[in-house]
Amino acid sequence: MKQLIKLDINNQVYEVPVSPKDLLVDIIRKKVGLTGTKKGCGQGDCGACTVLIDGAPVLSCITLAIACQGKKISTIEGLADEQGNLHPVQQAFVDYGAVQCGFCTPGMILSAKALLDRIPRPGELEIKRAISGNICRCTGYKKIVEAIGAAAAKISTGGVE
Amino acid sequence: MFLSDFEYFAPKEAGEAFALIGRLGSNARVLAGGTDLLLMMKEKMIEPQYLIDINAVPEFQGISDLPGKGAVIGAATKISEVEYSPLVKEKYFALHQAAGELGSVQVRTMATMGGNSCHASPAAETPTPLVALGAKVVLASATGERQLPLEEFILGNRKTGLGEGELLTKFILPEPAPRSASRYGYIGLRGAMEIDAVNMAVNLVLETDGRTVKDLRLVMGSVSPRPLISVEVPSILVGKQFDDALVEEAAAAACGEAKPISDIRASAEYRREVVAVLARRLLHEAFNAAQEV
Ligand SMILES: Cc1cc2nc3c(=O)[nH]c(=O)nc-3n(C[C@H](O)[C@H](O)[C@H](O)COP(=O)(O)OP(=O)(O)OC[C@H]3O[C@@H](n4cnc5c(N)ncnc54)[C@H](O)[C@@H]3O)c2cc1C
Ligand code: FES
Ligand code: FES
Repeated sequence: MKQLIKLDINNQVYEVPVSPKDLLVDIIRKKVGLTGTKKGCGQGDCGACTVLIDGAPVLSCITLAIACQGKKISTIEGLADEQGNLHPVQQAFVDYGAVQCGFCTPGMILSAKALLDRIPRPGELEIKRAISGNICRCTGYKKIVEAIGAAAAKISTGGVE
Repeated sequence: MFLSDFEYFAPKEAGEAFALIGRLGSNARVLAGGTDLLLMMKEKMIEPQYLIDINAVPEFQGISDLPGKGAVIGAATKISEVEYSPLVKEKYFALHQAAGELGSVQVRTMATMGGNSCHASPAAETPTPLVALGAKVVLASATGERQLPLEEFILGNRKTGLGEGELLTKFILPEPAPRSASRYGYIGLRGAMEIDAVNMAVNLVLETDGRTVKDLRLVMGSVSPRPLISVEVPSILVGKQFDDALVEEAAAAACGEAKPISDIRASAEYRREVVAVLARRLLHEAFNAAQEV
């Protein structure tokens, strides 16, 4: 019962054969080959599989791929610019040591980006709320929160700190 | 955890959705945000043959103001849209609060208002304030539509009054009374991503003197299989001047009405204690807020 569908991922259109039951996370990782998106719990609790759909963070482990036709999907691979310069949130995670094993990092960064797109200068509580659906098993939350705050400051001062 | 096979439909208008549900009957399930449905399917608790995705139907979307008459919220409206809506914040504060507490940002982006009531979990966030605010649901099928107060729609744990071939299409909220305010609160074991041990909403209306309670609804969630509307709290407070002694009496009464169970999240004794704490807090908050409008 496979059918060909078009998925717009990071502004590139992929034509992929899917069954209705295929989950977006599996299609992104196994068919499209973008493995930055992680699969942790598979039941909505950990946030490792977070991607952005039309700019808002969703859980790709409980999203049907077939339901994403005509939508704009962004994964961690699409965040850097064409020259390969990291997005300010990514750069801040590097600068502040906010990455340990890295498994939660793609989801964490996408949740943070969606927050900063909505609220450019969030307070600490807003940052914590925004990443409350992203679990870090290495528990480096303090540095993650600091990194997001620093990225916000950098973006809103136009790149100079 | 993988899903079993099913056929997928994504109707683009309401008529098409009703026709599909009518034709496919109980072998079909409605897919809204999928945050409950896909988990149940992964666990193989249910294995529907057909999914009818209602997200592309414009009639089921969005929040509209009916100035002086209330508001309408489409069943497929996302929880995050309700959370961020200035209209909901202004007119239905308790619903605004509850929407902001459901799951995580990701879950709120995906989950819908209709899904939260149709799944009918006793611990659900939004039915409690909706019932306190006097919300009605509109149930529609290929042959017509009917309205029901939400408290008559939710019948118990995962049981609703949804008929064969019917969809929940929207919620109708009445215009808030003058000098009224609503507040929501919950107690769980953690701050985030928590299933409520107890939740509660209060909708309180004052007389022109700004002290006498004219009308009041207090609704509890998670302490009974369906949202529990307190009978005793209004009988203690309505027609009286609001004061601390009466609030104490009301809190104790709410406690007595709650019929909680002990489970993995909390014991029945703890839940009953928490009911008193929340009742006291929310009655005060709603009273103070109603004095200011
Ligand atoms: C990680 C996680 C955390 C969560 N936290 C909370 C929480 O804190 N509080 C809370 O209340 N819930 C929570 N939930 C549960 C869930 O997100 C909510 O119940 C949500 O509102 C369900 O909406 P949905 O649109 O995703 O429903 P779906 O999963 O799409 O549907 C749920 C059920 O309702 C039916 N249905 C949906 N819409 C309609 C309609 N319009 N007409 C007829 N039938 C319909 C479906 O067929 C299905 O049986 C959580 C879920 C997850 C995964
Ligand atoms: S893998 Fe999707 S939330 Fe854990
Ligand atoms: S860095 Fe290891 S899970 Fe977060």
